[in-house]
Amino acid sequence: MVEVNWAQVFFNSAVTGSLYLIGAVGLTLTYGLSRFPNFAHAEFIALGAFIGYLVAEQLGLGFLAALAVAFLVTGTIGVLCYRGIFQPLSEGGASIIHLMVASIALGFVLRYSIGALWGWKPSYFTTTWASFEIGPLRFTGLWLWLIFAAIALALAMHFVLVRTKIGKAIRATSSNPELALASGINVNRVILITWFIGAGLAAIAGIFRAADTQIWPMTGWDIILPMFAVAILGGIGNFYGSIVAAFIIGMAENLGVVALISFGLSTEYRTAIAFLILIITLIVKPQGLAMLFRRA
Amino acid sequence: MDPLVYVLDLIVFIGIFGIMSLSLNLEFGFAGLANFGKVAFFLVGAYTYAILSEIGVPFYFCLITGALISAMVGFLVSLPTLRLREDYLAIVILTFGEILRVVVKSERWIGGGVWGMAVSPAISIAGASARVGALVNIGLVYLCLVICFLVVQLLTNSPYGRVMRAIREDEIAAEVLGKDRAKYRAQVFALGSAIAGLAGGLYAQYIQFIDPYMFMPMVTFTVWIMVILGGPANNWGALLGAALVMLFDRGTTIAKDYLALAIDPINLQYILFGVLIILILLYRPQGLLRESKVKTKAIDRVGHERRATKNKGS
Repeated sequence: MVEVNWAQVFFNSAVTGSLYLIGAVGLTLTYGLSRFPNFAHAEFIALGAFIGYLVAEQLGLGFLAALAVAFLVTGTIGVLCYRGIFQPLSEGGASIIHLMVASIALGFVLRYSIGALWGWKPSYFTTTWASFEIGPLRFTGLWLWLIFAAIALALAMHFVLVRTKIGKAIRATSSNPELALASGINVNRVILITWFIGAGLAAIAGIFRAADTQIWPMTGWDIILPMFAVAILGGIGNFYGSIVAAFIIGMAENLGVVALISFGLSTEYRTAIAFLILIITLIVKPQGLAMLFRRA
Repeated sequence: MDPLVYVLDLIVFIGIFGIMSLSLNLEFGFAGLANFGKVAFFLVGAYTYAILSEIGVPFYFCLITGALISAMVGFLVSLPTLRLREDYLAIVILTFGEILRVVVKSERWIGGGVWGMAVSPAISIAGASARVGALVNIGLVYLCLVICFLVVQLLTNSPYGRVMRAIREDEIAAEVLGKDRAKYRAQVFALGSAIAGLAGGLYAQYIQFIDPYMFMPMVTFTVWIMVILGGPANNWGALLGAALVMLFDRGTTIAKDYLALAIDPINLQYILFGVLIILILLYRPQGLLRESKVKTKAIDRVGHERRATKNKGS
């Protein structure tokens, strides 16, 4: 039997879950509002990571500046992509399949533009993070920041969705666009704001992922399917559901590694765990955990 | 490289991907199924071929078994998924393909895991030059292509094909007419997967090597580009799309070797593909060639009569 450091497993689950939450918020909200899965979200993640890399490493302006600039620039690009491609397509009556194909095509454009600008060789953030050791737990400052960012995001989004006018408009548009329009909500503006926030948050997730592992044009594709798993398990368009789902998926991956090792299977299957949850959810209960959270 | 072999090689690739394109066109173009995991069935065909041919099974049997196993996998995948919404179906099949790739990557006993395995060619003639080898492959691939084309063309122009289009256009209307949409979709899916499996087998024996990295989701999306570009629901369009994408692909490889461009042609190629697809979807969603019209004796007769009455009237 393998000796398992359970404290570390649970801590790692929180780290993985935090990353998936930050990345999946935009995916689930845009999916809920615009009613198609945006596969180019993977490229928003990668693009954000590279903008962060440019600011933090190539210009040397530090990690916080990287997060801020990447959020704003990627958010703006997200809005432009929606205005330039997806809005005209859906107004022209394109089917959901066409919208999905368009998002993959957009992903090509962004991914290979990144490849042309920064090359395909993996690079690394050189920022060194303090490392801590408390009892059996070992972790880095980066992981603490990541968990902190996820908690801050959850609180801020909760406040926005419940207390502010725009948050209420987002929830109203997501649950019934016609009624929202009839109630005088500027649905188009709501969708644009959601795309801005969603793409911006994808950039934040990208920077954390890149700083923790490596950065290359596929940085986003590497983690997009687990994020789809989060969005779908949480119920598409449902923010509270995706908080729970992010931690379930994070936990499943890390516990899964323990299980795989004790069964003598390759740890390559780690990624397949989230994929399986994704498939099972879609087949058994496509609305995910949304039934637990009726308010969102 | 011998320039003639280069051209012959291109022709083989157009043939193999033409088969893939026909298969996706059957599923997406005619039946409206968003199969975002085409590469999974390509993989099944390729691995089946490789494993069977290693234990000395004759090549035609390897190809047919690959197609059959692929059809079975397609049918099994379709059972729980076909009642799902289009976007869910797309995500499930894309994910299924990735799971399959993780499996062949981790399990060394299936085709050597990450290291891949060598595959023997279908027809090897002792002492034959590269030119003859390529010619033999052209014969084999285009024989398969013609068979697939005839099957798909006849099927889509039969009453069965009209039901497929009807389900694509309006599921509820088709169901009200007593057409079980899940049954039709499962059959289309199985046939499409069989064709993709056949293409996979041909690919494996032509390249003479397989590893998990040859079956990335990129393959699926390349086939999607072919179908969207050529014109969904038009089998000639599917072939045209395959030929254009492959020509473009070769063009960029040549450009990479002989031209000094400021931007890597391979990056440029995919950027252009992306832009092209977005422009087609925005301005010409029917692709280069329009959907082939439904032709039946009844429609012909109605057309004749209408023209006849019009002529009389004037």
